[in-house]
Amino acid sequence: MNSYKTILFLLMATGLFSCEDVIDVPVQTAAARLTIEASLDWEKGTAGNVQTIKLSTSTAFFDTVSNTAVTGAQVSVTNTDMSAQFDFVDQDNGTYTTTEFVPVIGQSYTLEIVYNGETYRATETLNPVTEISEVLQSRDDGFSEDELEVRIIFTDPEEEGNNYLFKFQKLGELLPTLEVGTDEFINGNEIDWWYEIEEDEDTETIEAFAPGDVVNIEMYGISKAYNDYLEILTDQVGGVGLFEATPVAVKGNCVNLTNPENFAHGYFRLTEFNKTSYTFE
Amino acid sequence: MLLKKNIKMELRGYCCLFFLLSIGAVMAQGTYTISGTITDKGNGETLFGASVFLKGTRLGGVTNEYGFYSLTAPEGTYTMVISYMGFRDVEQQLVLDQNQKRHLELSEISTNLEEVVVTAEEPERALLKKPEMSVAKMNIATVKRMPVVLGEVDILKSLQMLPGVTNNGEGTGGFHVRGGGQDQNLVLLDEAIIYNTSHMFGFFSVFNADAIKDVKLYKGGIPARFGGRVSSVLDVRQKDGNKKRLALTGGIGFISSRLAVEGPMFKEKGSFLIAGRRSYADLLLKAAGEKNSVGFYDLNLKTNYSIDSSNKLYLSGYFGRDNFELGDSFNSGYGNTSGNLRWNHIFNDKLFSNLSLIASKYDYKIGIALDEFDWVSSINNYNVKYDLKYYWNDRFKLDFGASGIYYDFDPGQIKPTSDNSPVNPLALDRKRAFESGVYANVEHKLTDELTVQYGLRYSMFDRLGGQAMVDYAEDRPVVYNSVLDIYERGTVIGETDFEKGKTIERFGNLEPRASLAYELNERSSIKAGFSRVAQYIHLLSNTSSATPLDVWTPSGRYVAPQLSNQYALGYFRNLKDNRYSLEVEAYYKNVANRIDYIDGSDLIGQNTIETEILNGESRAYGLELLLRKNEGDFTGWIAYTLSKSEQRTPGGAAGGAGINNGAWYNTPFDRTHDISISGSYRLNDKWGFSTNLVFQTGRPVTYPNGQYQYEGLSIASYADRNSDRLPAYHRLDLAVNYKPNRRPDKRLKGEWVLGIYNAYGRKNAAAISFGQNIETGANEATRTAIFGIVPSLTYNFKF
Repeated sequence: MNSYKTILFLLMATGLFSCEDVIDVPVQTAAARLTIEASLDWEKGTAGNVQTIKLSTSTAFFDTVSNTAVTGAQVSVTNTDMSAQFDFVDQDNGTYTTTEFVPVIGQSYTLEIVYNGETYRATETLNPVTEISEVLQSRDDGFSEDELEVRIIFTDPEEEGNNYLFKFQKLGELLPTLEVGTDEFINGNEIDWWYEIEEDEDTETIEAFAPGDVVNIEMYGISKAYNDYLEILTDQVGGVGLFEATPVAVKGNCVNLTNPENFAHGYFRLTEFNKTSYTFE
Repeated sequence: MLLKKNIKMELRGYCCLFFLLSIGAVMAQGTYTISGTITDKGNGETLFGASVFLKGTRLGGVTNEYGFYSLTAPEGTYTMVISYMGFRDVEQQLVLDQNQKRHLELSEISTNLEEVVVTAEEPERALLKKPEMSVAKMNIATVKRMPVVLGEVDILKSLQMLPGVTNNGEGTGGFHVRGGGQDQNLVLLDEAIIYNTSHMFGFFSVFNADAIKDVKLYKGGIPARFGGRVSSVLDVRQKDGNKKRLALTGGIGFISSRLAVEGPMFKEKGSFLIAGRRSYADLLLKAAGEKNSVGFYDLNLKTNYSIDSSNKLYLSGYFGRDNFELGDSFNSGYGNTSGNLRWNHIFNDKLFSNLSLIASKYDYKIGIALDEFDWVSSINNYNVKYDLKYYWNDRFKLDFGASGIYYDFDPGQIKPTSDNSPVNPLALDRKRAFESGVYANVEHKLTDELTVQYGLRYSMFDRLGGQAMVDYAEDRPVVYNSVLDIYERGTVIGETDFEKGKTIERFGNLEPRASLAYELNERSSIKAGFSRVAQYIHLLSNTSSATPLDVWTPSGRYVAPQLSNQYALGYFRNLKDNRYSLEVEAYYKNVANRIDYIDGSDLIGQNTIETEILNGESRAYGLELLLRKNEGDFTGWIAYTLSKSEQRTPGGAAGGAGINNGAWYNTPFDRTHDISISGSYRLNDKWGFSTNLVFQTGRPVTYPNGQYQYEGLSIASYADRNSDRLPAYHRLDLAVNYKPNRRPDKRLKGEWVLGIYNAYGRKNAAAISFGQNIETGANEATRTAIFGIVPSLTYNFKF
């Protein structure tokens, strides 16, 4: 089930009269923070030994020119259940990699980063994901009856507390779309998760799926805490409209032990995931 | 322990009431009373707020909501003067040598449609003398002449032209009074509580101007007979219906049309009114092949019947509905329904009473065809009220009464509409509560110059069982996570079941209300007031614009009642032979237990709202200025408000510093400057012009203060809550009235109203959202403006 809270029928109502335009707005600029994109994702059926962590800094909101790559940090991940440490090697471009990683479902890992004399730490458990049973297309479902949507069918496991992250990216599009879901109202059911692109009639910059289009799909099993984090983050991606929750600060799980005020953006996650793609007919 | 304390408080409350009842028992000798009702000669409607004075004395009063007056004066011969805005004064000789009844009729200055010359809101003498302050009263004729969006007359939008009243931007429902939230307004339609005042998300108000007699907004100094909302009371009264003849009023506009039928019943012992409105955007959209649609309709009903000269029954009702459809996949509807039976009983020429039985309901439904489920939610309440007014003597008037409201909240149910639905059925806990109150209020003329009003309300709130309450570790529904510096839901350790009818939690509050008016001279007076009001139900919204989905929560184990103290000081002056009037008021108010949501709160489908909120406080202060021109071909006003509204939400029992690190932050209702200018000019019998000019400081919002790269996206990091502002809001409206038919013998009277809303096409931002351009990936700010220039043409008629 798609998160129905984002169904903005309200926007449609206002859409009858409203108009949108891009304007210049002065905004505040906060001091730069370290951003940690430590996504250790294990694709089903692979070894999962190659992993990358990206470090960057935040910039002013409208900045398009700054080089944000962070180099010279020390990055390591420890399996706290088995006391195995994996060191990530600085590639001098903001990425840090290892080829030694050993993913084990259900086990606890700790990330430690030392940067500018400050130590950041985060702990997370590797979450499993259920298999996708079918990917298909239709027109009838989704918000629009006329436009194509891709549908992912899977069965939510019996036990409660499964959380999902879906990542859709139409081939040739610049930005991916992230969606999260929990089994709160749908525990144990067969789930039919759809993704549709609604055409933007005004600007014609957004085009709906057409036969021949390819969409890349990733489906991750994630922790409840990460789900909560992403829920806020994805709600705020692309902006917050009139009837959506007021934007708030999003805080991840990477804590600055040296100077707690100077927390880091981003998250340390460990997931198992399905990867597939679909070509529309 | 708590219960014991409450009982003590309760007893103290009753003691105070008896004390109040026992004072002023000194009766003047050799005095007589004249009482009766004042009605409109044209249609038999009772007039509320008409003044009755004895010429050459300082004796006088005003009619109550039912047109009733009672005056006590020493034996003698007097000239009685009755006046009411827009009506010709009536003078009558009065030989007061016994108690007597006199029913009087006033004629409108002009019987032509909407040509009423607006005089001051109440006769000046009364205005200066009455301790009543912080009240905005609007004549329906004034409302009807103001330029409006989409040609639909709107009481709420007109009220927002007065000082201290603001909107939350275009396309949003509700209104804000003196920096308060929209849930802090008690909105009454013929005494029934209305929970949502807007149609089509604020484009229209639920009040059909053709069915409304008068509107009174108490911004402060809330009389003791009202309780339950800390910010304001909007008291809207429906017309009774024409007692003299069958009459039709209506209007045909672009978006909607309306029709009202009224006339006498029961051999002129009663009358009725039926008024309906319907928008036809939905029909037009369907006809144009559009699958999405939006529309509303509503119906006002009222009848009354005079059993005899001292007993009268009123029955009134309202039914309104909004519907939205998004193709076949999604539909939604919401609406208010209310009914009210009232019995006016006049015990004697000094004691007037009214008993009301009221039921009202607000509900909404969302149907999601795709996932085959419906989401339904409602609030029902049943209300009994008994209000009495005793006109003791010319110096002493006493109001007293009691009320009880039973609430039944159904915060939400998910109902799968087929077996194939992927959604499991779910019902959030129903919540029940009983709110009761007793009050007494005295209007006491101490000297010729000084009138004071003092009253006391004792309110009680019982959160009733019939549900389970979640127990949290250490009794903390929200817990501060000091490692990650975020607020999280508390640990559930169990549940306590409460039987139906049992009280889960009880609150009691003494609410003193007092004000005074001191007449400096014939033309000016100063007034001061204090009021304390308790509010037991809360509306929680974490969206920038309130939606019909927002959930009302009763006070209980984890949510304490809001308690406000308001202090106001005012200076009132009539200038140039009452042609102008000036009102200046300053106020300060604080509200304890104002809740706010935590970062990342999830309010929809939330059974345990207490895990999403923290308890805080709010405060507001400001200066209001209103200069009116009351008479002549040109009338209008300039209103200016300088104000501040902020709140603070510390961590409290949850730990941590709280929202915004425990510092004060702007409420979304803070407007530093608010200027409204409204004017109308009557050129001749045929042509009239009117205009509105509004300027308001932008609404506090939260903007990004940086960006970072994550998951292939640029993610905005956001600044402190409400630390930025939307651009200032301003607009100009214009309207022209043309009355083609001037033959006085013709019954059909028509009028064209051509209006332009937002004449210079200001793109006022309803919201600004921040995101990435999907082609370049660069961040950009997108403004949503609801209305551009909106012209409208409406034909109004009266038959």
